[in-house]
Amino acid sequence: MADQVDSMSDAELRTKLAEHGFPIMPVTASTRKLLVKKLKLVLDGKSKPRMSVDNKIENRRSLARYSSGEESDLDASNAKDKRLGRRATTGGAMLPPSVSKTRRTPSKKESPAKRGSDKGSESDEEKSPIKSHEEVETVTTRRVTRTYAVNDQDGYETGSDSDLDADKKTSTPFRSNSRASDHISSSLTTDAQTSPLRTSIFSRPSVPGSSYTSNYSSSSDHLNSIRSRLGLTSTFDRPTTSYTSTFSSSHQPTASSVDEVESPYLSNFTRRLSTLKPEPPKPVTSYLDRDSTNGTTVQPRRSYITGASRSDYVDYKVANEKKFLKNNLVSLALVGLVVLFFFCLFFMYIVKKNDITSVVDDQNSVIPICDLQIPRNRPGINCVPKEQVSYAKDLMKLIHPEITARTAAYKCNQPGALPYLTEREILDIATAKAMTTDVSQCRTDLNNLQVLLIHNPRWGLNVVQLKNLYTKDVEYSPILSTDAIMPQRTKGTVAIALSDPSTPLTCLFVNTLYSAGSSIIVVGVLTALALGLQRFYKYYVSYKKRKNEEIYSMVEQIIDIISQETEDSGEPYISVDHVRDTLILPQNREKMAWVWDSAVKFIQRNESRVRMEVQSVDGEDCKVWRWVSSSPGSPKRSAAWQGQAFETQEGSVNNLTVSPTPCLKIRNMFDKNTSNPNLRNVIEDAILEKCGDKCNILHIDIERSSCCVYVKCATPTDAGVVYRSLHGWWYEGKLITVKYLHLDRYMQRFPNSPAVGPYLKLSRQRRLWEESRA
Amino acid sequence: MSSTSQKHRNFVAEPMGEKPVTELAGVGEVLGKRLETAGFDKAYVVLGQFLVLKKEKELFQVWMKDTCSANSKQSSDCYQCLKDWCDEFL
Repeated sequence: MADQVDSMSDAELRTKLAEHGFPIMPVTASTRKLLVKKLKLVLDGKSKPRMSVDNKIENRRSLARYSSGEESDLDASNAKDKRLGRRATTGGAMLPPSVSKTRRTPSKKESPAKRGSDKGSESDEEKSPIKSHEEVETVTTRRVTRTYAVNDQDGYETGSDSDLDADKKTSTPFRSNSRASDHISSSLTTDAQTSPLRTSIFSRPSVPGSSYTSNYSSSSDHLNSIRSRLGLTSTFDRPTTSYTSTFSSSHQPTASSVDEVESPYLSNFTRRLSTLKPEPPKPVTSYLDRDSTNGTTVQPRRSYITGASRSDYVDYKVANEKKFLKNNLVSLALVGLVVLFFFCLFFMYIVKKNDITSVVDDQNSVIPICDLQIPRNRPGINCVPKEQVSYAKDLMKLIHPEITARTAAYKCNQPGALPYLTEREILDIATAKAMTTDVSQCRTDLNNLQVLLIHNPRWGLNVVQLKNLYTKDVEYSPILSTDAIMPQRTKGTVAIALSDPSTPLTCLFVNTLYSAGSSIIVVGVLTALALGLQRFYKYYVSYKKRKNEEIYSMVEQIIDIISQETEDSGEPYISVDHVRDTLILPQNREKMAWVWDSAVKFIQRNESRVRMEVQSVDGEDCKVWRWVSSSPGSPKRSAAWQGQAFETQEGSVNNLTVSPTPCLKIRNMFDKNTSNPNLRNVIEDAILEKCGDKCNILHIDIERSSCCVYVKCATPTDAGVVYRSLHGWWYEGKLITVKYLHLDRYMQRFPNSPAVGPYLKLSRQRRLWEESRA
Repeated sequence: MSSTSQKHRNFVAEPMGEKPVTELAGVGEVLGKRLETAGFDKAYVVLGQFLVLKKEKELFQVWMKDTCSANSKQSSDCYQCLKDWCDEFL
């Protein structure tokens, strides 16, 4: 391919590029290489993706065009296979497969169409897969082969079925075809309500009492139009496996498989139909409505069909759900596992808090039973009599919720809440709960409980010693040995508290919210403060800038006025007040006073061309500004040209009367050791400035080695002008000399110098500079 | 693009006239030399090529690369310069 591109003619190249969507551009010697390269790149790189895209578009187009039956061979055969498979299985339930097969094979052409309408109708009305399936087959047959269609219609009206109908009748022996056609039209009517696209088509079948045949034809028209809209190339991905002897179940797989197929070529309509599917009640009710409007239909049959369709619908739904579960088993299982995990976590968290009884009744608890044989054992201080252990445990179970509640309240920052129970409080609770009326008994139990708690830190309660009994400070330290209890007990500073108090969830939430809220407020205030500061600073800066600008503009105006006035009036100075009165309107003078003062100060400090002095004007001393600018001679002339050394005007001895050539050689305009890289432009500008507006210069160049400047003018007369205006002038302290130069010599030196215009002009910077000076 | 170079602004500010090719933004001495040997001695010759390529950035950049082995920055500068000039004066 690349070789071809190289040997292509220009025209071929152009057309080829145009084919690939590039703008047609001239193929010249300089662009040809580039275009060839481009084309190669396109051919190599993009050929594949482009082709595939084209194919896809082509496919789509052909589908759209051929959807009415003549699909590509591939599609047709594919569809036929599937169709045969399905047909065979449906037939398997109802009639010998061989028959159906022989019948179906010749009708190759109708199969895609049939499938199309199958799909359309089945996704249309999910509640009646029974009839739609049947109906669609007859309809498509009718459409594709006209003879069949006539037969069908005859069959419906007369009841004598053709061969084709016989096949269907055997599969659905309990229902007449005319009935089915009616049903389909009505169901399509219901569909029309949901899809406005179709309303016009369906308006006909909705007329009650119309004959079945007309309904039938209209519905068949409708189906054809559906089919023409559906480009179906997808295959049924699920073989029909679960056929049973009942009719409804034999239809489920078809419906669900149609539903499950994710065909990229489904039209929007089909998609919408399939999205309509999961609305179960609608079709059923509409079906019933239809029955009521067509009141003349045969009652028993109707009821039968209604029932059948309902059960069928339920079955269908179940099958659909099963399918859904099957397809998403793994993902659902994963989600389930995660949920279970978190639930377990939560449960454990909850249970952990409330398992006091189980902990207490644990066999591993250390229970120091009082043994009377050992003399150091003292009940209630370092051991517990065996029979009182259970009492102590009961007491603990009683007070545990109270302590938990108190701790929670304390953690929630409720006022006055303390995270412990003192002995007195415990006794009060115990007597109040009427476990025993005997306070001394309670006291004993409490002592025993304290011993038990000290021995069993696992129980989650600590015996603590309060630091200060009478203040509300919550300061306590746990008592870790039984020996320490006795002295504290006498002081009454023993209490029981939770060993690891945990904040309840709601409280935690509230606390977090509170702290978060407060920090948000703090952050917000700080941010607002920072923003305000920033805004203020910005405003201040801009305000200052504005002020400065005002001052600067005032200063400029003042200087303008001073230079103007001094030049115009001839007096070298001007009164300050006079300037002010010229610049500022009377009504603004008060307002602008500060601007004026600042401007005056600025000029005094920073303006070297203006000097402030006191002069007597009309016998009165007043402040004046004196304009002390540079020499008033010719301010517009650059300082580079410093004056003429000798006369070159007409008639002078130094002037040639006739200019012999248009070329000049200027000597001594610059030093040999000048290192200015921009020298050429500087020289050019200088010459053009001196005489550019009086003559036409074509070319100026310099030769650094000989310190010469070469000038080529349009005509010898122009060269004469240049000669006269440059010869004998001082330029930057150097006296320059000009000589005429033969044109051929000049061309030898600068063969590229232009022979005709455009003429040189001042470069832009220079012009701007000039303008600003003017 | 945040800002343009001084060279760019100078070039775009006025008709290009007889400016040498080195006046183009992105074309320095080296590239200018190369372009001159390729026959593109004036800025307007490069402009001609630019116009023949229909102001297509990609093609122009490839051309710059082929002709004077300019890097993408240089060719992009040059392209922008010519484009702005065209917008202004053409």
